[in-house]
Amino acid sequence: MTVFTIWPEDVEWRRVSPRLFWLELLSLLSGLAVVSALCLAAWLIFDFWPVWIVAAVAGAGTLFRLVLLPRSLKSWGYAERADDLLVRHGLMVRRLSIVPYGRMQFVDVTAGPVERALGLATVQLHTAAAGSDASIPGLPPQEAARLRDRLAALGEARAEGL
Amino acid sequence: MTESVEPRRRLHPLTPLLRGANLVALVVAGISWQGYRDLGTQGWLLAVAGVMVVVLAYSVVSWFVTGYHVVGRELRIYEGFVWRRTRAIPLERLQSVELVRPLLARLFGLAELKLEVVGASKTEAPLAYLPADEAASLRGRLLAIARGRTTSAAAPGAVPGAEPGAVAAAEPGAVAGTERYAEAGTEPYAKAGAVRGAEPGTWVAEPAAAPPERVVHVVASRDLVISQLLRPHWWALPLAIAAPIFFFAYDNDLTFVGVASMLTAVVGAVQAPVRVLLGDWRFTIGQAADGLHLHRGLLETRSQTVPSGRIQALSVQWPLLWRGMGWVRAHMQVAGVSAGRNGDTRGGSLLPVGNVPTAQRVIAEVIPGFTLTTVTVHPVPNRAKWIVPLRRRVLGYQLTDTAFVTRDGLLTRELVIVPYGRIQSVRVRQGPVQRWLRLASVWADVAGAGLTPAAPHRDVAEAKALATDLAERSRAARRSHPAKSR
Repeated sequence: MTVFTIWPEDVEWRRVSPRLFWLELLSLLSGLAVVSALCLAAWLIFDFWPVWIVAAVAGAGTLFRLVLLPRSLKSWGYAERADDLLVRHGLMVRRLSIVPYGRMQFVDVTAGPVERALGLATVQLHTAAAGSDASIPGLPPQEAARLRDRLAALGEARAEGL
Repeated sequence: MTESVEPRRRLHPLTPLLRGANLVALVVAGISWQGYRDLGTQGWLLAVAGVMVVVLAYSVVSWFVTGYHVVGRELRIYEGFVWRRTRAIPLERLQSVELVRPLLARLFGLAELKLEVVGASKTEAPLAYLPADEAASLRGRLLAIARGRTTSAAAPGAVPGAEPGAVAAAEPGAVAGTERYAEAGTEPYAKAGAVRGAEPGTWVAEPAAAPPERVVHVVASRDLVISQLLRPHWWALPLAIAAPIFFFAYDNDLTFVGVASMLTAVVGAVQAPVRVLLGDWRFTIGQAADGLHLHRGLLETRSQTVPSGRIQALSVQWPLLWRGMGWVRAHMQVAGVSAGRNGDTRGGSLLPVGNVPTAQRVIAEVIPGFTLTTVTVHPVPNRAKWIVPLRRRVLGYQLTDTAFVTRDGLLTRELVIVPYGRIQSVRVRQGPVQRWLRLASVWADVAGAGLTPAAPHRDVAEAKALATDLAERSRAARRSHPAKSR
């Protein structure tokens, strides 16, 4: 049997909010703006034209990511299984995290100014291992609060610590 | 008894002197040879004297405001003069306790107690310095509380005017354990039964609740010396000596600073192996009821106790130069202990040098039922050669009955061993090239820094199955030993 994806198919993936698109778009564009501003400054001060190659590469990269952005956002998903939380994402580099509830040390819910304006929040799960990486962006506040409470309750019920 | 608030205790009055001496040594090293030349002998002495006065005053104030006591199941430590800090350490969370005796402190019969808890970037609460016997008995007491044993059983009868002999008789194990350690050739740390200042109502050093220790292995000094000579650091030595000589021949101007610089370079080149040599001298691994005991050190002696179940991961390394001797070394990862991996003994050396059967015996103490010799890893698929042409031959993993084992490293072959119950989370990752080759990598995250067992470049179906399997086995292991850790 050939398997093409690293993500389990037999679970029900929950998607993140499509409004995450605007957040990602903003972060992409602001990154490009910073690079362009630096290039412009370098050109004005040093009259060094090759900086525009850098700017062009950055622009092409941004465009590429912009085209892929909708698909990349669709790749985000999380699933609450009986004993663990699954988080998947990534288009070019695909990632899957499996975090048992019992291993959870604490849950973070964060929302930056842009996220708040869009009505989004990020939930992040922390275990005792620094390498654990389970963060879910682009959740509506109610869903973020529900997930946080559920994770906290499950974590308490199954606490195993280190 | 334990619930009543005992009075705060101070560190030993000689502490400021010793700590001051350490700080001054640091400052002198900071000024360096260059500074010595610039300042001249007189200026240098003056600077050092000035620093000494300031440091001593600071140390005295710091000693005066530092205190500690045990409240319930917590150790509280008070410190700071300008910024007051009270730190409460829940003892159930204790990961490891180490009794450190630097050379200077040994001369005065003092010791430092280092406690490691999770979430701290550096050693939490180093209690420096305490009288050696008090430090040992405090360690026993903290470990007993950490194990969930109430200390009140031993205390009330023993408190008022107890005689050392009586206490020792009451806890024969404690004395036997200490004597066993003494036989092992290192200085006995604790006079186990010593009860200090026995007045009702004051804090009384309880008999060191150190259970009898079974010595698993003592590293032979000859092996340690040979193994440390077989390290690549020594190859830099000729260069470190030759460079100044070359410059001297060129310049014909041999200065004191030049010679000193050469000495510094020589020391710098070989400091890693020499440090291991001094730090891991007479490395003794013992097992006792309160956990794994590690004793080591030539000038500065260290004696570490790691409660069972606190070791998160192990690594066994076969350095290239040691393969002729058939030697390996082993490290352990304890959460909260910063792991120095490349032979730095500050972190978690478990066996500085030994043959495979020895390593097997030591590892069996940590992960019962694990056999190192039967490890046979699954190789990665052939097509991984496009990503890792050379490492393809060594990469691999195995799922044993008790632990997840991964292999990596061309020159220094390394096995990373994680008991299933210690796996925190599992990750799978697939890059673009891997996707094209239908490969994926699997990681098992472990608490603490340093070791992250990984099975890179597996077939996608295999990687998925492995991730599920790891999560499943980790859950099953935790179900069967739920109370082992918190």
